[in-house]
Amino acid sequence: MPDQGPMTEAMYYILLALLKPGHGYGMMQRIKELSGGRLEMGPGTLYGVLSRMNREGLITLTGEEGRRKNYAITGAGRTALLTEYNRLKRLVADGEMLEVER
Amino acid sequence: MNRLYWFHPGEYELGENEKFYSDMEAKGWRLVKRGTYLSRFQRVEPSRARYRVEIYTGPFLEQPTMPEEQVAVFEDCGWEYAADHGWLHIFRAPEGSGAPEFYADPAQQAETLKKVRRGMWGSVVLTFLLIGAIAAFFTWQGTIGKSWAQLFKRFLQFPLTMIFYALWPICGIYQMLWDTWKISRTYRRLRKGIPLDHEPRKHRLLRNPILGQTFAILSLVCLLVTGIQVLVSRSGDMPPQPDGPYIMLSDIGYEGEQVKKLYGSDTGVTHSRSLLADYWETLEVVNIPAQNDRQVWMRQYVYRLRFPGMADRLAWALMEDSVFARDRESFYALDVPGLDAAWATKGLELVAMKGNLAVYVEFLSSGTANGAEREFDPLPICEALADRWRN
Repeated sequence: MPDQGPMTEAMYYILLALLKPGHGYGMMQRIKELSGGRLEMGPGTLYGVLSRMNREGLITLTGEEGRRKNYAITGAGRTALLTEYNRLKRLVADGEMLEVER
Repeated sequence: MNRLYWFHPGEYELGENEKFYSDMEAKGWRLVKRGTYLSRFQRVEPSRARYRVEIYTGPFLEQPTMPEEQVAVFEDCGWEYAADHGWLHIFRAPEGSGAPEFYADPAQQAETLKKVRRGMWGSVVLTFLLIGAIAAFFTWQGTIGKSWAQLFKRFLQFPLTMIFYALWPICGIYQMLWDTWKISRTYRRLRKGIPLDHEPRKHRLLRNPILGQTFAILSLVCLLVTGIQVLVSRSGDMPPQPDGPYIMLSDIGYEGEQVKKLYGSDTGVTHSRSLLADYWETLEVVNIPAQNDRQVWMRQYVYRLRFPGMADRLAWALMEDSVFARDRESFYALDVPGLDAAWATKGLELVAMKGNLAVYVEFLSSGTANGAEREFDPLPICEALADRWRN
């Protein structure tokens, strides 16, 4: 995905969480953990982003436990996540002067 | 009483619904089922609870049943699936349960409204195209005047019933426009990042019930009035002397024996009254043995208006909706002393008016009097009417 635009925060964190396959509720807890409690994702957002990323092939269904579905990140998803990570890193690097100013 | 049915806010009023169900729970009524106009509630201990609505439209032409997995995600977060109707899915969480709001980012929620909003605009466009097409069809057919005339005549006879029927489409269109505006506004606000107002202060909870109740009362009144009208309307054979502002064949020189039926329909007089007019409908058939059993028949629609100002319009409608003439262009004006105005066709119809009285007359005779067909002469009928309406 060379022309990948910026990701939403929700997408970024869900992909991060799915580096370890999991289901909806587990993901939400992982995201809260990953963000140090900063990001509490609502079930509406989570479900909406999951179904969209599934359609776009960034994640895939790996199995079902009862009503819950398990997802995992795909190769394309991993690439997209990495691209976004690099982009964010560049953004932070470009803003380093702020550290000096402080 | 453990059950309650109550009107709920429209499905396009998202925040209003959330508040409404929370308020009901606080009063001890828990939502069990949502129907088209009413929700069903069950008696519980009054408690504080949050209600939230989620829109799920589903794939095109399929039932908008929320996928089990989605419900599972919501339930895992502490939300209980309460009820649904169409694409509106309602969840409940007790106060203090810590269940997270559905959306941290309003723009995400806007996405769920997209399809509903598009669908609403589609219906608006389609409705107005349809109305336009119907109007164009009647105009092209040249019958729009006739249709208006028929509506006006019906309106004089059954004003409340007609108003009621007119209210249906008007209410429907109003509701549709309101809903479309409402959902578009919510969508725009969410897109801009303004979260959904879960506690709308100036909520329109009353709008729906009042609309519904007014409608129910109105239809009941209309039904009652129509019922009374039918009850007080009188039908009977032609009396020996007219008992209303109509004329009889004997008034214009056709004496003979009264015939009870003409092509299967009963002859006689029907008198009914409405808020706008008294109305007489007559069909009189006379058999004249002295003239080779010649049959003469006359039909009259007589209106005595409560508002004389409507007479001109009624005369227009009577001509426009005449049975044999194409429209009012086929009528020529007559000058008859004692009548305000009169018009006749070359055939067998005439329309006359005076003050608050107006009449449409159809006159026909079969066979011949002296071997030759007589021309339709509207003058004797007009004179008889002028005579009858003198007082």
